[in-house]
Amino acid sequence: MKTYEVIWNAIRVQPWNWFFNLVGITVLYLSFQIPALVLREFFNLITGDAEVDFDFWTLVAFMAASALLRIGGELGIVLTNVPMMYNIAAWLQKNMFNRILHRPGAAALPNSSGEAISRFRGDPEQVYIFPLWINDVIGSVVYSSIALVIMLGIAPKITLVACIPVVFVVLLTTAMTRHISHYRRLSREATGAVTGFIGETFGAVQGIKVANAEKTILGRFRTLNHERSQTALKDHLFDELREAVYSNAVALGTGIILIMAATAIREERFTIGDFALFVYYLEFLTEMTWMLGYIIAKYEQTGISVDRMVTLLQGGSPRQLIERGPIYLAGQLPEIPYIAKGREHHLEELRVTGLTHQFADSTHGIQDVDFAFERGTFNVVTGRIGSGKTTLLRTLQGLLTPQSGTIHWNGKIVDDPASFFVPPRSAYTSQIPWLFSAPLRENLLMGMPESETDLEAAIHAAVLEKDLVDFDDGLDTLVGPKGVRLSGGQIQRTAAARMFVRDPELYIFDDLSSALDVDTEKTLWERLFAQRQATCLVVSHRRPALRRADQIVVLKDGRIEDRGSLDELLERCEEMQRLWKGDWGDETSDAE
Amino acid sequence: MPQWQLALLLGTLLFTTIGLELFSPRILARFIDDAREGVAIEILKNSAFLYIGIALVRQVVSVAARYLSERVGWAATNALREDLTLHCLRLDMSFHNQNTPGQLIERIDGDVANLANFFSDFVFRIVSSLILLFGVLGLLYWEDWHIGAALTVYAIIGMACLFKMRSIAVPQWKAARQASSDLFGFLEEQLSGTEDLRSSGATGYALQQFYKHAGNRLKQERIAGLKSIWLRNTNAFVNVLGYIISLISCFYLFNDGAITIGKIYLVIAYTGMLSGPLRRLTRQMEDLQKASASLSRIEELQLLATRVHDGPGYPLPSGPIAIEFRELTFGYKEDEPVLHDLSFRLESGRILGLLGRTGSGKTTVARLLFRLYDPQSGEIHIGGTDIRQAKIAALRDQVGMVTQSVQLFRATIRDNLTFFNPEVADDHILHVIEDIGLLPWYEQQPQGLDTQLQSGGQGLSAGQAQLLTFVRVFLKAPGLVVLDEATSRLDPATEGMIERAIDKLLARCTAIIIAHRLATVRRADDILILDEGRVHEHGPRRDLEKDPNSRFSELLRTGLTEVLS
Repeated sequence: MKTYEVIWNAIRVQPWNWFFNLVGITVLYLSFQIPALVLREFFNLITGDAEVDFDFWTLVAFMAASALLRIGGELGIVLTNVPMMYNIAAWLQKNMFNRILHRPGAAALPNSSGEAISRFRGDPEQVYIFPLWINDVIGSVVYSSIALVIMLGIAPKITLVACIPVVFVVLLTTAMTRHISHYRRLSREATGAVTGFIGETFGAVQGIKVANAEKTILGRFRTLNHERSQTALKDHLFDELREAVYSNAVALGTGIILIMAATAIREERFTIGDFALFVYYLEFLTEMTWMLGYIIAKYEQTGISVDRMVTLLQGGSPRQLIERGPIYLAGQLPEIPYIAKGREHHLEELRVTGLTHQFADSTHGIQDVDFAFERGTFNVVTGRIGSGKTTLLRTLQGLLTPQSGTIHWNGKIVDDPASFFVPPRSAYTSQIPWLFSAPLRENLLMGMPESETDLEAAIHAAVLEKDLVDFDDGLDTLVGPKGVRLSGGQIQRTAAARMFVRDPELYIFDDLSSALDVDTEKTLWERLFAQRQATCLVVSHRRPALRRADQIVVLKDGRIEDRGSLDELLERCEEMQRLWKGDWGDETSDAE
Repeated sequence: MPQWQLALLLGTLLFTTIGLELFSPRILARFIDDAREGVAIEILKNSAFLYIGIALVRQVVSVAARYLSERVGWAATNALREDLTLHCLRLDMSFHNQNTPGQLIERIDGDVANLANFFSDFVFRIVSSLILLFGVLGLLYWEDWHIGAALTVYAIIGMACLFKMRSIAVPQWKAARQASSDLFGFLEEQLSGTEDLRSSGATGYALQQFYKHAGNRLKQERIAGLKSIWLRNTNAFVNVLGYIISLISCFYLFNDGAITIGKIYLVIAYTGMLSGPLRRLTRQMEDLQKASASLSRIEELQLLATRVHDGPGYPLPSGPIAIEFRELTFGYKEDEPVLHDLSFRLESGRILGLLGRTGSGKTTVARLLFRLYDPQSGEIHIGGTDIRQAKIAALRDQVGMVTQSVQLFRATIRDNLTFFNPEVADDHILHVIEDIGLLPWYEQQPQGLDTQLQSGGQGLSAGQAQLLTFVRVFLKAPGLVVLDEATSRLDPATEGMIERAIDKLLARCTAIIIAHRLATVRRADDILILDEGRVHEHGPRRDLEKDPNSRFSELLRTGLTEVLS
């Protein structure tokens, strides 16, 4: 995808605002013509060279009028550029966000979330500023064309010779853009490293405090900051050099006018008014070429930002970045789609064959996993750490992309697990659930219409009802970032309640009870099993779960070691025996 | 180069540029008068070459100055970022419980970046504009005092107007900054929670929330933009006013024969130059408005004080240390105690199993030990010293904690284990890894300690990540270790594997093992059961096990008979 396509589509986000912005900028530029012409006439008036007979006070009046024109232009610009900029930013952000939301959820970002923020923040800025630059260049070209026509009318030879350095400059700049893009890329990457690190640091703030590691963390931050400033300085130095070249072109042009005009002035073919006009215009002419060069450089830089945003789409078509669609920045927000549970969601049997997901950078993952279960059964996946339990749950739900294998739901093949395994078909409580800094109610509903749900029952099922009484604001309690205002167990049960609210056909839990005490865990299982309809797929190595299981899937090094009921497995599966005994069971207490 | 030398060099360069800038129009004025008087063409051409030469020199000097000023700007803003980061790291947990990492990115980086444009330009633009302003006015007096006086009055009026308009939009810009930091805070949080969003079918909801935040940002920016239009309008008036004043003055002086055409050209060129600094000053004012909004947000952040004050530095003993809680009462909110009048003692070298339901205050006990919070009343003594008397850093070096949640950085294994401390020797790290029984895992790592881990520990299972935190803690050889549900993510087999290592490590220190599962506290010497922030039961484990009426033995019975069979 070419950068200009992105820019063109950015303009189309707010075409009218773009157009009126262009009008505003052009009016602003035209307002600068008046002082130039007034000055010329003023000099001609006092040297007696005037061709048109203007009264001195008329000239002053013209000068005053230019201020009004200028204010009009400025007003047009301010009224249009803000909506344009932030609509374009929101458009790009929405498209990136939307794509990320449709990525396999457990591998949605190429990097840390803090680093991704640098792509959400700085890179759209590069794009939204570009249409404004285009307008600036157009306004400047209009101004310069008028200036050139007037100059050619006065002294064609001087005009042409003075413009040569200006042309030279544009060529030079175009040749320099390669370096610019290299340093710009480095500079953006260094920025991403800094924001990513800030994000990670404050995500781990308690750990850092406890480890007394503030100083060493800061040392690392300092290194990243230094790298960033170095790359940014190099990046900007090129900008500066280019600017210097332009300014020199003005000086050179003015010098040439001086040399060429020397004789002409003596012979009174070129008035002082003409001279003043030429010097005044030359500055604008150079500014125009400066801008032409600048916009070429900006174009390169925008290209880099586009690349960076496309990277965030991770394999999605680059076109998704510029997909057109509504952005609701004012007025009514869109309805959140709600799918009521119907016959088509009903689960009879789920069958997994040959499911494989290997992580690129390690030997971990799952290979060739086969199992099946029917409605109403309780299925436990167990195994040692790193044996692939979580990977299995994620791959099944499309939260990681399966590399091979098929999933059958009621005998029908599931094409896209990621969009299929969502409520009301299935819901998932991950091992380390993520809560959002919003009221508890919102964390449970996350957009579900409250009238369609039974919050109370879900809270009861998740054994959260007692905690709720203690919360000051009940369901309106703010849980804080990541749910930090709740205890570990409360976070886990809130996530469980979020799952129950969705009343799915299939419950998927990853190690639900790891933060729960014995009593709470017991109550939770009891309440869950009381729901006869529940079909469950859970990761656990707890005895209550294993005992209750209709089927246990034992994983070892990413492969299925064995499958069956607890008694069968304890009989024949060595890995199961080891996992079972590791727990502090009757054996040890008997020994004491 | 030290900052003051940089500043000195920058100043010299600035003065040179401005001097040359002031000198250039004089050449043109001289040229005009010479040309009209019919001076030899050679002299005129020399003036032209001089003009070009000076312009070239000016550009070289100007590039150097801008480069330097930007360097100074980066140094200043990076120092500010570092200060803020350290400050925020030291702020109480109650602050972090209200601010997402995304919001902090925006406050530490976004707000400071707004200042950066201001900083690097400020030195250059404001200072050079002011010098240029005074230079031009001075030279105009030199030419003719009437014109000098007229334009001085103009400059004063102009500056007064612009300064009056300066802070007109600050509150609006501040609101706009807040809206932007809310947006990015929101996005960061959502991007971290994609797994939960997807599997909860909440993507539509996330998008709707995004529109809400982005819409608010647009609204705030629009209000701020409209408000600052006054500044731009004032600027336009001031600019044109300057030309009109100088035209009128020159017109009358010329009619009186008091001034040559060349001088008029000079005056008008200087007037144009005056509007330059005035315009740049205005633009800086506009930036200043945005910067003041950022600055006041930064100040707000800096003014936040931690309620946990560092102690005078009483020494803490090394090796296994005894702990004592004395009549301690604490609540996250003043009037809602989580711990009530808690007193207990743990002798040095012993292991305490701390049990209780979720929310009974177990984790709070650990947080207080690290002085993440201070109690409302009562004291904690470690090795006989009130922990508030010791340096916080010394305390946290003496106490280590392994928690259930693990945060990893996108960095090498080494940096993740040492928190980027380059002083920890590789041998020492490897020794601890071996002690914990992680050597088989370590040997699979392609680049050993230099292997890069992904952010959030992608590619590591939650259990493996938890093992890494054991290494983190035991690298420090603390005198007291708190294991807060440290093994809850480990399967029984792995737990068994590292058990001996934990035994070995705990032999060197006092330990508190927080658990809601009984299996975890089997190595405890003492048991303390908390119930709603009060000691429900406390005593040696063996005694409690033998007492059939104890809550502990009751728990053992329920725990072991399992839930449902």
